[in-house]
Amino acid sequence: MSDAAMAVVKPEMKSYIWLQTVDGSIQQVEEEVAMFCPMICQEVLQTGMGSSKNYAISLPQRVNPAILGLILDYCRFHQVPGHSNKERKTFDEKFIRMDTKKLCELTSAADSLQLKPLVDLTSRALARIIEGKTPEEIRETFHLPDDLTEEEKLEPLRNITDDPRIRLLNRLYARKRKELKERKKLKDVEVEEEPKDERSVEDLLSFINGADGDMKGTRTNKNKKKNRRRKDHAKDLSSKNENDKDLNPLPSAYHNVYFDNALEASASKHSRMQNLPAISFSPKFEVIDGDVDDDLDPAMKEELDREVEDFARRLNSDWPERMQILSLGQDRRLVPPISMNSNGSTHLYTALAGNSISKVSGS
Amino acid sequence: MGDVMGPDLISDLPQSIIESILVQLPIRDAVRTSILSSKWRYKWASITQLVFDDKCVPFSNDREAVEKSVVKFITRVLFLHQGPIHKFQITNSKLQSCPEIDQWILFLSRNDIKELVMELGEGEFFRIPSNLFNCGKLTRLELSRCELDPPHSFKGFAGLRSLNLHQVLISPDAVESLISRCPLLESLSLAYFDNLALTICAPNLKYLYLEGEFKDICLEDTPLLVEISIAMYMTDDIAEHFEQSSNCNFVKFLGGVPNLEKLVGLIYFTKYLSIGIDSVHPPMMYHNLESIELYQVNFEDMVEILVILRLITSSPNLKELQISGSSNIPVAVDTPDLDFWEKECLSDSTLNKLKTVKLSEMGGWPHEIEFIKYLLGRSPVLETLSIIPCVFDMENNLKMLIELVKCRRASTRAEVIFTHE
Repeated sequence: MSDAAMAVVKPEMKSYIWLQTVDGSIQQVEEEVAMFCPMICQEVLQTGMGSSKNYAISLPQRVNPAILGLILDYCRFHQVPGHSNKERKTFDEKFIRMDTKKLCELTSAADSLQLKPLVDLTSRALARIIEGKTPEEIRETFHLPDDLTEEEKLEPLRNITDDPRIRLLNRLYARKRKELKERKKLKDVEVEEEPKDERSVEDLLSFINGADGDMKGTRTNKNKKKNRRRKDHAKDLSSKNENDKDLNPLPSAYHNVYFDNALEASASKHSRMQNLPAISFSPKFEVIDGDVDDDLDPAMKEELDREVEDFARRLNSDWPERMQILSLGQDRRLVPPISMNSNGSTHLYTALAGNSISKVSGS
Repeated sequence: MGDVMGPDLISDLPQSIIESILVQLPIRDAVRTSILSSKWRYKWASITQLVFDDKCVPFSNDREAVEKSVVKFITRVLFLHQGPIHKFQITNSKLQSCPEIDQWILFLSRNDIKELVMELGEGEFFRIPSNLFNCGKLTRLELSRCELDPPHSFKGFAGLRSLNLHQVLISPDAVESLISRCPLLESLSLAYFDNLALTICAPNLKYLYLEGEFKDICLEDTPLLVEISIAMYMTDDIAEHFEQSSNCNFVKFLGGVPNLEKLVGLIYFTKYLSIGIDSVHPPMMYHNLESIELYQVNFEDMVEILVILRLITSSPNLKELQISGSSNIPVAVDTPDLDFWEKECLSDSTLNKLKTVKLSEMGGWPHEIEFIKYLLGRSPVLETLSIIPCVFDMENNLKMLIELVKCRRASTRAEVIFTHE
């Protein structure tokens, strides 16, 4: 070992630790900097490795040379005891500025080296990236596959209530689903992102639940014109509702239901639907997923619009009564037809009101 | 589409990192990650910290609707959650007492809850269900505006380190017994209690914050106390009690805290300590006491000044002193008893480590001036003495300044900063 030790001792009497990354390259690092990493520190103390090139410490595979460089920069700064908290914070803020890919790699590497302060710093940065973004934006940033199937979304709600409106809605949904299936058959080869009339189903949804003309756009369907039409439509309806004295409870009830969707989504696979509760409750048109589908057959479109309008009008006319049903905590939840079916797993939801708990299990 | 964009950057990170990210998101954003992709469906559901604040549901002016919305949200999240919940916090001003709270706490008690914070809106106090006392793993409890009623058989929280009760309705016996039955208690904060005579037995207690109408505070077994902050309000009842008291509060309160590092006293605290002080010597030296802050000190009352003097002379390592006068003093009519100061000046004690002094609400009263003279004359390493007058009256301040200029200074580096605006 003494030969190895000799090789390490430099003229300036500094000692170095030798580290080997997964690609085979070896570098030497000042001892105090390397020892700032708990994992390296542990290796050195327990196994005595790292004192020479031949006995370099093998770093976990998640640490590549570029990332190692960053980590060592971090350690080099923070291991100096003299820095004030403010200086450290400033350094951290600057340090964290890098592209998302590198940030993820850095987080992973820091975690494998057990460098907790850096893990906290990077995960906070990643949280900041995620916060406030729409699901689409998040998927794009992190290259997440959009692999929650849409089929389940369209399955009618197996609802326990006898509300005729729900039955009507179910019928509409069944029809939509059939259309979708047909469409899909036609476009089998082409991997299309969204079924075209997804959006109108969404609109139905919003009519049922928002019933103040709220129309939320969905996903990536592109039809700005359609959007605008919807928006105007929405505005008309909402202005109608302005006069309704029950307008106040409306947004939150509406929103509640939407949020229910979001929470149900975790059990069901309604990724698209769940974009709806995205941000605000105010009866304004919200296009979460960008453009709206343009390819919808105009005739069908019109028919849908008519149906939807009709439905909305009917809903608006007995608004107070509907609010009664929608009011949370007292009744069975009137939820948009999001099925709880996902690969046969049961999905439970409760109506919270004192003691009554209702369960609906998907088959 | 994953191939077109590139490999998934984040979904395969270890769950501990994912949790660390999700926990730093507002709860709504965290829950919404469930729709990102199939891998992300349930990642949020196992986070161990759930924090519901005022932003967890969209804003609306209709408080009731928002409340319903919050209740529903919280219940759903709990229902869909899997695994232990270590921290559960509700700080939502729109939420008031509701029956669901019982269910939530029952659920939490079955899920290893460690930190529980419940700060609901103003309005009806909610009653903490008895299930809370089954939360055996509790380490931190923070409650606001509620009723707490521990059962008689309650043996305490074996692991509780931090207890914070703010406007909580609880009987004095229950409070004392709760405190004494939590052997690991390190931090205690009680605010807005009425007419409480409190005895604290907490062998591991390090941080104590009290605010309210306290008749009496007895630190019976608190040898490890490091930081104390007390704000004592006055009522007629308490005033009477003070007058009739034959205790020496200084000894009773500070008699058992040798490790004290910081002392903060507000409102009537100095008055409280002054009761019975002239009959005894200070109980001990506070070698670790480095920072003293006393507010609303009545410089007309010589006994209160005595409290300050006793404190600072018992603290050889005192570095920082902040005193705020009481701006309620009417213009002094009687000639102040300056003999008092001559007696004090006979002692040789110096404040060898005192570096910073801040005096605010100074009215320029004779006793204040004497006190400043005392400080300047005995602080060999003093660096800054800043004075903020309470009355920005040119004539009064001029008089003060004239007196200050006369003062002898023990420290050549001392800067006297007089703030005037």
